[in-house]
Amino acid sequence: MTHRYIKIGATVLVLGLAFTGMLWSTLREGTEYFKNIDEVIANQQEWQGKKLQLHGYVVPGTWVKNTKSLEYKFKVQNNPARHESTGGIVEASYTGILPDTFKDEAEVVLKGQFGPNGFQVEKDGVMAKCPSKYEAASKSATSGS
Amino acid sequence: MASLGTFLLLASFVACSYSAVVAVVGARRGSRRLIESGIGAFYLVCALMSCASAVMINAFLTGDFSIKYVEHYSDSVQPLFYKITSYWGGLDGSIMFWVFLLSVFGSIAVWVNRERHRELIPYVVATISTVQMFFLYLMVVHRNPFTTFLTTAPSEGQGLSPLLQNFYMAIHPPSLYTGFVGMTIPFAFGIAALITGHLDDSWLRAVRRWTMFAWLFLSIGLFLGMIWAYEELGWGGYWMWDPVENAGLLPWFTATAFLHSVMVQERRSMLRVWNVMLVIITFFLTIFATFMTRSGVVQSVHAFGEDRTLAWLFTGFMVVILTFSIALVIYRLPLLKARNELDSWLSREAAFLVNNWILLFSAMFVLFGTMFPTLSEAVAGQRLTVAAPFFNKWMLPVGLILLVLTGVGPLLAWRKSTVRNLVEQFLWPTVAGLVTAAAMIALRIPLWSSGFCFALCAFVTGTLVQEFWRGGAVRRKNTGTDMLTAMIGLVGRNKRRYGGYVVHLGIVLICLGFAGNGFKRTKAFVLEVGQENTIGRYTLKNLAVKVSDDGQKQMVTGHIAVFANGKQLDTAYPAKWYYRRHEQEPTTEVAIRRTLPEDLYIVLGGYDAATQSATLEVHVNPLVDWIWLGFGILALGTGIALLPERAYSFALAKMPAGVATTAGALLACVLLGGTTLSAQPGMPGASASTQTSYFARTPLEAQLQKEIVCTCGACGHAAIGECRKDPCQVSHELRAEVAALLDQGKTHDEVIRAVIASHGGSQDMLGAPIDEGFSRLAWLFPYLLGGGGAVMIGFAAVKWSHTTKPSTETPAATESELEERIDDELRDLD
Repeated sequence: MTHRYIKIGATVLVLGLAFTGMLWSTLREGTEYFKNIDEVIANQQEWQGKKLQLHGYVVPGTWVKNTKSLEYKFKVQNNPARHESTGGIVEASYTGILPDTFKDEAEVVLKGQFGPNGFQVEKDGVMAKCPSKYEAASKSATSGS
Repeated sequence: MASLGTFLLLASFVACSYSAVVAVVGARRGSRRLIESGIGAFYLVCALMSCASAVMINAFLTGDFSIKYVEHYSDSVQPLFYKITSYWGGLDGSIMFWVFLLSVFGSIAVWVNRERHRELIPYVVATISTVQMFFLYLMVVHRNPFTTFLTTAPSEGQGLSPLLQNFYMAIHPPSLYTGFVGMTIPFAFGIAALITGHLDDSWLRAVRRWTMFAWLFLSIGLFLGMIWAYEELGWGGYWMWDPVENAGLLPWFTATAFLHSVMVQERRSMLRVWNVMLVIITFFLTIFATFMTRSGVVQSVHAFGEDRTLAWLFTGFMVVILTFSIALVIYRLPLLKARNELDSWLSREAAFLVNNWILLFSAMFVLFGTMFPTLSEAVAGQRLTVAAPFFNKWMLPVGLILLVLTGVGPLLAWRKSTVRNLVEQFLWPTVAGLVTAAAMIALRIPLWSSGFCFALCAFVTGTLVQEFWRGGAVRRKNTGTDMLTAMIGLVGRNKRRYGGYVVHLGIVLICLGFAGNGFKRTKAFVLEVGQENTIGRYTLKNLAVKVSDDGQKQMVTGHIAVFANGKQLDTAYPAKWYYRRHEQEPTTEVAIRRTLPEDLYIVLGGYDAATQSATLEVHVNPLVDWIWLGFGILALGTGIALLPERAYSFALAKMPAGVATTAGALLACVLLGGTTLSAQPGMPGASASTQTSYFARTPLEAQLQKEIVCTCGACGHAAIGECRKDPCQVSHELRAEVAALLDQGKTHDEVIRAVIASHGGSQDMLGAPIDEGFSRLAWLFPYLLGGGGAVMIGFAAVKWSHTTKPSTETPAATESELEERIDDELRDLD
């Protein structure tokens, strides 16, 4: 009987160690920091080259597209547009197709890292919240209680 | 009508509490009459909820915009189909829909099992009623879908987001909910069995079919979500490991595990604690998934908004479920002892056990990954997220192991496999796998991971064909019929087993589709008119970019010729649609050229209407369609396993093979219907209903279109840019007039004067009076009113400040905010 428990124990230990090891190694390269703009704008140098998911709002009227290619440039601010101050502003550049929900004042999460010319968004790295459906719902949620 | 709805919800809540209490008391006292009364109340809840749903749908159909929920998710011009589906379009309605489904399913389950499992029924009723009470409580105190505007009711709704006006998206939530809600029934039976101590395998028989049914709808729900993402979102993929997607996947894993391990308990009386735990965990995960997506705990781009009250209510409910169920399991542990031990690792039960571990691991892993941002914030104070590559890296090997087990499991014998039957069973499938692997190497397809997956697919298909062939051969010998009839008879004889094999075949096809992802190609480029570019074997040429309008929306369509090997295959029409009132949210209409080997997926990313240049993103997605096909076969297989015995023997007697064909045809109809409904018209320019578009080209034109009011009389004086009485000829002509005047180089004021002059000189048709002369008074009036109010409040504040705290309130709040507050205060008085 003890022989059997040793076997089971050893198997569990090996599997457990292998699992933790793999998890550790993949998490190290797989994770991205989720930050608001104000949290990183102060010491941008420190975040240079680190993988980030940057949360903010598109500054109205700042996004321009190169007509000959799929390059976009836009600015993102920390606070929602109806807020009195904008908070920190970051310039971002992106190449690719923007999601349909991307527009002025849209709440966005940008995946990428800081480079020499502001925030460089990686491919398919723009996620924009669908405002018409969910925003008002949460507004009535807070006032309804 | 709204108060009737609220009353029905309240009545349901009362009936639920009554049935829960009375059923339990009846069971403890052994009073048949009390139990019957509880069951009666339980059926009553179903009737009440059906009425409430009818009230809600009626409100949507008649456009009762005094109900906030209706105003928010519907408008008068929405097609009938989407008006009905708006019922579950938002949070409040989806909770109500949840209770409605649960009451229907619960009633059916109780009705079907009322004789067979007499001793369990009172507790089943009590458990389901308690769950219903929770959701009804949510609605009654916190999110009542029948909340009305107590002040002025708007005359028009806001409308469903255009992104969600898609056939698949409309039927995706009910399918997913059916799956989620269906999992409550096994849970209720499990709890009843634990409480009563009737822990023989009879409760499993009652829930097996329900779990299968719920599992089927969960699978279909996931499938619909994937195909929606693929067709509508335009990023070329179908699964992003988004929290909302993962939420549906979690209970799917554990339910799949249960469907397998339940067989082990039936055959060998093992894994009894495990099965009860799986049922509990599956139910818990359905609640947890709802909590995750509805309360704002996890950040997601398409999670519902943050709602703290809801989060706390859900947390409380989940804690209660977990403590109560686990305490019950521990209390009943002596009764749940396994009656057998594992004889050998080379047995089918061992394979099922490994499959269970891996499925449970998958569920826990996905849960971990999804909750990781929240966890890391709680532990390390840093919000760290994990993205799709992390999930893919882990789930790929896990998926491959599961695929191996799909093939291996059915070939192993129960208890212990001998070397001889191993050779006999594995020879041909292994050969099939190895041959495919060799072919992969010969074709220089990288063996890791796609090639490996292909080889495994071949192996599993080999085992399935072998099973069918051997079973069919035996039956043919015994009955003397031909092979096909023998195989169909075989399926009829053991529907669960062979239905299960068909499901496995579906899984193989789905895996094939996933493996194709490894060969995906993407390219983005700009094409001027007449220019060409190539991707893979395709050459794309921009023929034109055209702008048209069908009254409801403006459509910018690229006309892209697709060539391969010098021959034109097709013309693709990727488009961007701008719905009126949602101009800021264009929807991308992807052009997909579907073939079994690969899809050509063309997205119109941008355009220049003046030069007709188109910016395209093109994906070549190999084998994608096999995923959809696989889901179809999976549904068919589950359908076979689910068919009642009687129906099958009847069908077998009357129309051999007809059943499968009918089911397949039905499924094909539904899916094809979906494609045609959601597909864009083939040639938008040629359609008779389209007309030239007078969409605002400049900010000035946009401003004018907002200032001039449509005179059609049916739209309640909407601006001509927003008139929703579509197609509205009047507003269309007015837009044309404005455009023509602007083309003559007229300024803003000149255009307005000209338009007024040509329509009888009345300022009625202006959204706001002209800013001059007497009209200025009208402009001034609100400011005077506002200023006067401020002065008066300030005066009052000074006066009162001697006795009470000064009121800091100023009339800065806009009118809508004020109205909302009055609404809330009035509600508090109710």
